[in-house]
Amino acid sequence: MTTLLQAPDRADRAAAPQTPAAGHVQVRGLGHTYDAAGRVTRALDGIELDIAPGRFVVIVGTSGCGKSSLLMMMTGLVSPSEGSITCGGMPMMAPDPDRVGVVFQEASLYPWLTAQQNVEFPLSLRKLPKAERAARARERLALVGLQGFEDRYPHELSGGMKQRVSIARGLVQDPPVLMLDEPFAALDEQTRITMGDELLRIWERTGKTVIFVTHSLTEAAYLADEIIVMSARPGRIVDRIEVDLPRPRTYAMMSTPRFAALRERIWGHIRNQAGE
Amino acid sequence: MAPQARFRLEPATVRRLLGLAVLLLWEVLPRAGLIPALFLPPLTETLGALVHHAGEYAHHLLFSLYAIGIAMGVACGIGIGAGLLVGSVAPLRQSVQPVASGLYAVPLVILYPLFTAWFGIGPQSKIVFASLYGLLPCFLGTMAGVQTIDRHYITVARSLRASRLQLLTRVLLPAAIPTVLSAFRIGGALVIVGIVVAEMLTSTEGIGYLITRNRTLLNSPRVFAGILLVVALVIGFDALVRLLERRTRHWRFSTRSADAVA
Repeated sequence: MTTLLQAPDRADRAAAPQTPAAGHVQVRGLGHTYDAAGRVTRALDGIELDIAPGRFVVIVGTSGCGKSSLLMMMTGLVSPSEGSITCGGMPMMAPDPDRVGVVFQEASLYPWLTAQQNVEFPLSLRKLPKAERAARARERLALVGLQGFEDRYPHELSGGMKQRVSIARGLVQDPPVLMLDEPFAALDEQTRITMGDELLRIWERTGKTVIFVTHSLTEAAYLADEIIVMSARPGRIVDRIEVDLPRPRTYAMMSTPRFAALRERIWGHIRNQAGE
Repeated sequence: MAPQARFRLEPATVRRLLGLAVLLLWEVLPRAGLIPALFLPPLTETLGALVHHAGEYAHHLLFSLYAIGIAMGVACGIGIGAGLLVGSVAPLRQSVQPVASGLYAVPLVILYPLFTAWFGIGPQSKIVFASLYGLLPCFLGTMAGVQTIDRHYITVARSLRASRLQLLTRVLLPAAIPTVLSAFRIGGALVIVGIVVAEMLTSTEGIGYLITRNRTLLNSPRVFAGILLVVALVIGFDALVRLLERRTRHWRFSTRSADAVA
């Protein structure tokens, strides 16, 4: 990228009505080729996705398979070289926080803002009245279990708490879809499991469509309604697995044969690619 | 361990002791005749001169402060503003940065005679000179600071559909504040230097002028009284920067380094 000042233009902004189909995400014929210093790389190929509203879909694959790039394209941050992405029936040409909330891998909070101010930030860009902003941010922080931490700065919060704030920020405009790019990758294992449970609880309470990218097989099997397994570069979808584990998911399920079989099936795909 | 083994001098205590020692030597050495009073008048004599001519010093100090205030506003305002803009647009930065860095090495004081010819020997020429003198470090420092901003901050802003202006004022500017402050520390100090030096060269007013005039009159206590005021000015400026740094302490913790601490 040549400039830090690249901001999306506002011309194609779509007012998405919160119809039942608002959380419907569709990807058609998506492929991506990029040219880095003269070396042409095929990153993604023939991606087709149909994600029904309210579903929890996990995209899993080895590092470098393009799963994060695919997610960034679905958020509208990156344009694919071919194919189309729609959310709620409208194309995702540019980021639209009213339709898609995004949570990034790195704790991407602004260190000069408190937790409350970080969650308010998207609303303040829209110039919402202060009182409404504050009320909505407080309500979202409470949803992610951070009541009483409103005035803490990011450096005063633990890694897990920071990601909770990120989730609250992603949800503050009440988008029908939440997309998370390896949100818990930097956390220790205990925190990771707790955060998974937290996310499931939030998902059940809000009924959002959740698209979650991870390289962790356990995380994928534990969280998902449906697992999308991607191959190594060029990233293709090699399997779609309906997870039939009952909800609510519990820690004990991880040691059941069903869970093991799920992991085994995903691992089979990933191991095959590693051998190539 | 014995209790006295635990006795350690705090760095702050050492600093104070050193300062006290300097002041003490300043008084004792000339009084003892080890340094001629013309070269270094005793501290009490210097302070005496300062008190005795308090009105005159106050007048010239205010004059210098006025020039410093304006020059600092111009230098930091333009320097930081332009640094933010140029620093965030790569092609512009790549063409401007080498030129600005090269220019920084030029001793701008060689231009001062020119400025007196253009703007007269009043405050204008000093303000222009000191503004220019402080502008470059502000500009260069801010430009460098913008480049070190975590890319995630920008990606987040884009995912939230921030406009260009919002990205600049709500993300790039606050994210650059730690570097901007260190640029301000250097640029602001140079503004003070610029004003005082300019006053010493050609002027009829200001603290630098007082120092030069009394030097030609061989009135050492009054020269040192002026120097004391300049030192006080710099200490005051440093305290201001420290205050700003304390108020923006949260900025300096990047979210990742905090993880390492926790």
